[in-house]
Amino acid sequence: MIHLENVSKVYPNGTEALKNISIDIQDGEFVFIVGTSGAGKSTFLKLLMHEETATFGKIVVNGHNLMKIKKRRVPYLRRTMGIVFQDFRLIKNMNIFDNVAFAMRVIGTPEKDVKKTVYRVLELVGLKGKEKHRPGELSGGEQQRVSLARALVNNPKVIIADEPTGNIDPERSFEIMKILADINNQGTTVIVVTHEHDLVQEFGGRILRIDDGEIVEDKYLKTKYHKNTVSINNANSEINFEDDLSNGNEPSDNKNTIEEKEADA
Amino acid sequence: MKFSSAGYLIKEGFKNIWNNRKMSLASIVVLVSCLIITGSASLISVNVSTLISKIGDDNELTVYLKYDLSDIDSIKIGPEIQKIKNIEQCTYYSKDEAIKEYKDTLGNIYESMQDEGNPFGNAYKIRLKDLSKYNDTVKQIKQINGVDSVSDRSDIAGKLTKLNYFVTLVGSWIVLILGIVTLFIISNTIKMTMYSRRYEISIMKSVGATNTFVRIPFIIEAMIIGLFSGLLAAGIIIAIYTPVRDAASGIVRLINTSTLTVGDIWLQTLLLMSGIGMIIGFAGGFISISKYLKKEGGEIIGW
Ligand SMILES: Nc1ncnc2c1ncn2[C@@H]1O[C@H](COP(=O)(O)OP(=O)(O)OP(=O)(O)O)[C@@H](O)[C@H]1O
Ligand SMILES: [Mg+2]
Repeated sequence: MIHLENVSKVYPNGTEALKNISIDIQDGEFVFIVGTSGAGKSTFLKLLMHEETATFGKIVVNGHNLMKIKKRRVPYLRRTMGIVFQDFRLIKNMNIFDNVAFAMRVIGTPEKDVKKTVYRVLELVGLKGKEKHRPGELSGGEQQRVSLARALVNNPKVIIADEPTGNIDPERSFEIMKILADINNQGTTVIVVTHEHDLVQEFGGRILRIDDGEIVEDKYLKTKYHKNTVSINNANSEINFEDDLSNGNEPSDNKNTIEEKEADA
Repeated sequence: MKFSSAGYLIKEGFKNIWNNRKMSLASIVVLVSCLIITGSASLISVNVSTLISKIGDDNELTVYLKYDLSDIDSIKIGPEIQKIKNIEQCTYYSKDEAIKEYKDTLGNIYESMQDEGNPFGNAYKIRLKDLSKYNDTVKQIKQINGVDSVSDRSDIAGKLTKLNYFVTLVGSWIVLILGIVTLFIISNTIKMTMYSRRYEISIMKSVGATNTFVRIPFIIEAMIIGLFSGLLAAGIIIAIYTPVRDAASGIVRLINTSTLTVGDIWLQTLLLMSGIGMIIGFAGGFISISKYLKKEGGEIIGW
């Protein structure tokens, strides 16, 4: 679960990127974040993964209070989320397999499980047969999908994607969104920043509009891609949403508990 | 971090060396050069020290007997000198031998000063066990009847001790300064390497790697480079040691007999160099990566 309370972010140079934001995102939601360039969308995501810290307010992500989190706990916060970066962030010296496997090795997964899972996830994103290639030998869209595979491989509670379709043709964009929607239907929270109006209309879900550091719109758009819809707090939407389901969260809940234990060990 | 990661992390360390081979090569060249320079300075200092103390050990005194003492009486004094505790060796040196050596040394010049008779008396060449008891021993020798004088080398004994101390001191300073310069150069090399890989570090952290997990392959990598450089530097030093020593012996003959041979130094050189190389690798890797680990990821590369 993600909980923000009166959160502001002022960058050292004085830019006020987020202004007094309060929002809750429940487990299992599918959320689009839209808004003009410079509105504060990436800043919002950076706060969630603790790449930036909020200047004021309170942030709780998957049980971690980010205002109080200790440095050595940050890796464990990040392991509860899979992040798809706009610039891919692939390690250029590692082949595709190792780039994806890295996320699993980080948490100490035995090699034979790594192998099985990585091959399966690479197949899921349509990169079967590219395992031995280096990132530099792939197209932008393919690299994007490697980044997605790496985000999925640990079966995280939350997937966060900053413009995951920014570099690819509409067809591929659709495929990637389809994968994200499927994963959401298995219970994973998905948060996607995008500029692409068509995709938002097609896939729907909860739509947050950020403008000049403020959330100016929070609505729900039901589409065929979402079997499950989840209750939304603070939603000022007029559009229908069902608040019946919170299913599919159990596996990821267990996972989180395990990691918390490991963190304390 | 789990134990199951150990194999992966070690393998990764080796892989990194190859993946960053240009930087690895640069680091090895820098480290090897620094180790050779520092190592050579140490070896020269140790050898000069050895040379000086050998000269001290060789310290030979001459006991001059009274000029008019007969040969028979002269020979009788030998056992008496030998009775003194601090005498290690005592050999008779007759005036005939003295004049002969004198002739050999002076050669032609001697021809022009012929027929002036033998100006030398009989003498003994002695060697002391302990040079520091020089004064006592000389006093005892002088008490023997028929002894005229003992060559005075007390000042040389003192000077040699001082010189040895001086060489050790200067040598240590040179090695220390070279060592600091080495560390400086190496830490800069590592910083450059790290800078070119900060992106990679940032990615690892954004995927949830702990600092330890990021750090271990880097440190293993640095230690392997250090070990390899140490072995290489030691190998080069050992290989050129004998030729250099021979060349130096050609100039100062004493070097051949009074300095360490390659047999005396190869093992220590090998162990020290590889040990120091690994320590430098460990320290350098550990310190320089810490700087980048402090960041939480985004600041390094931005979105
Ligand atoms: N590290 C930073 N230091 C100072 N100001 C920053 C920093 N990062 C972002 N900003 C500023 O904060 C504001 C919000 O930036 P942010 O990156 O969140 O926008 P965005 O909504 O993601 O835009 P885009 O759609 O172009 O990616 C912008 O005015 C930006 O200039
Ligand atoms: Mg952005």
